[in-house]
Amino acid sequence: MEACLDYQSAVYKDAYSRINALVIEGEAQAVHNYEQLAELIPAEAETLRKLAAMENRHRAGFTACGRNLQVEPDMAFAKRFFQSLEDNFRVAADTGDLAACLVIQSLIIECFAIAAYNIYIPVADEFARRITENVVKDEYLHLNFGQEYLQRNFDQIKAGVERANAVNLPLVWQMLNGVTEDAQVLGMEREALVEDFMIGYGGALGEIGFSTREVMKMSSHGLRGV
Amino acid sequence: MFGLIGHLTDLAHAQEVAHDLGYDEYASQGLEFWCMAPPQAVDEISITSITGQVIHGTYIESCFLPEMLSGGKFKTASRKILNAMAHAQKQCLDITALGGFASIIFENFNLEKMTQVRDITLDLDRFTTGNTHTAYVICEQARRGASALGMDLARSQVAVIGATGDIGSAVCRWLSQRAGVEKLLLVARNQERLTNLQTQLGYGTLMTLEQALPVADVIIWVAALGQAMQVDPGILKTPCLIIDGGYPKNLQAAIQREGIYVLEGGIVEHALDINWKIKNFFRIANPTRRLFACFAESMLLEFEGLHTSYSWGRNQITPERMDEIGSLSRKHGFQPLGISS
Repeated sequence: MEACLDYQSAVYKDAYSRINALVIEGEAQAVHNYEQLAELIPAEAETLRKLAAMENRHRAGFTACGRNLQVEPDMAFAKRFFQSLEDNFRVAADTGDLAACLVIQSLIIECFAIAAYNIYIPVADEFARRITENVVKDEYLHLNFGQEYLQRNFDQIKAGVERANAVNLPLVWQMLNGVTEDAQVLGMEREALVEDFMIGYGGALGEIGFSTREVMKMSSHGLRGV
Repeated sequence: MFGLIGHLTDLAHAQEVAHDLGYDEYASQGLEFWCMAPPQAVDEISITSITGQVIHGTYIESCFLPEMLSGGKFKTASRKILNAMAHAQKQCLDITALGGFASIIFENFNLEKMTQVRDITLDLDRFTTGNTHTAYVICEQARRGASALGMDLARSQVAVIGATGDIGSAVCRWLSQRAGVEKLLLVARNQERLTNLQTQLGYGTLMTLEQALPVADVIIWVAALGQAMQVDPGILKTPCLIIDGGYPKNLQAAIQREGIYVLEGGIVEHALDINWKIKNFFRIANPTRRLFACFAESMLLEFEGLHTSYSWGRNQITPERMDEIGSLSRKHGFQPLGISS
């Protein structure tokens, strides 16, 4: 696959301008979300601010990836792309719905990032590959934080996680459908991306305390966004 | 803990199982969905040896479907198996058998070179193809079946269809070294491999399928990769013993003629009931006790604490290893499925 990709071609750069923007915007949202979470969970504030700082470094790293290919990221597209998820996080934070905040940032966004980065690494240009390999290691730590927090508070947050899953998972599918063609140009296959996401997300729900049956039911909500 | 990695027969079967399990959202989905579906640990199994020892295991549904191969989606098929293996390793399963097409995909697409699955490096010592036990069971089925039909296996014309595969070549070696079969008919697509096998064995007649079927007293069908056996019963000799080691096993229903005896190859029957729910979804008679020999291999290795890749690599199975796994099989209460079973 890699051998077929021409990183300097107009078609590659055009697709990259949107995918790169999504990644930069996703990381920027993560910075904001972790800072919000630090206010919502004062006992974990120090850790959460560290996570926010890591996400900010990722944002800078991916900005450098775009610059390296001389691609101008289409940030307006990325803003529109994330709008629904951003709105949902803001409403959850404003109403103190911690379960929803953690589902959106610590599970959905982190699992999506991990899946996308893992699928991207084998087809990335050398510069981006090195950066992405380091980023994905951090993202596992972030996912782990969310998992552990939700696991400790499973009884209190279980219903909230289910509600937030039902609302937000279909959004992820819709978002994914919106970038399928661009991702394909970059050598990233939709079905591999979805499968990796479902493995990570389902695994996280299982770690938190949901049964296999519950995980499968919750995962099926994504299909409503197809 | 042992593990089993399995898959369903086809898309319709997968939809039916999803419905029966109460997942109607999945039951209505087409092949595209199964291409994206993650592996799932769907059953906890416990099995008791006739020695009294009890072991526990997990069944992992890979979500692979044979249509992925017939549709040329080799990358998807490979991903399914690697993801299922990573899932097994994440569940800390000590020894896991790759059932059905899983081991064929692993070997044919050289997945041993792709052992990095996300953040998991596959430890291949935790996996076995189960082929040594399958080969042993098929050979025993041929030996016992021939005897039950009053045939002298050593003097019979024995055709091995798919002779160059991992199981096929092991069967040929056993027939030669343990059963003293004099007239071995070797059939396979790859003529170079077939000639190499003949050289290794020191004898055997190379034939096409069309040449071998009408003259064989015993037919052992172990061809891989979606070559379910299709035979015109009218051309076969009578009596004829057929061991259907292909997948899916469709011969018993397809061949209804007096004097033709078809055995489901590579199936064992346990002396005691096995505690598993997934049995209801195997298209196999009496699934409380019957199972694929490859699955049983991981159980045998777990019983014996042999957490090692017992069957691995192509054409490495020796008659000595088959004797060894056969002895363990009998020790723990497994029997090859026979004509009267």
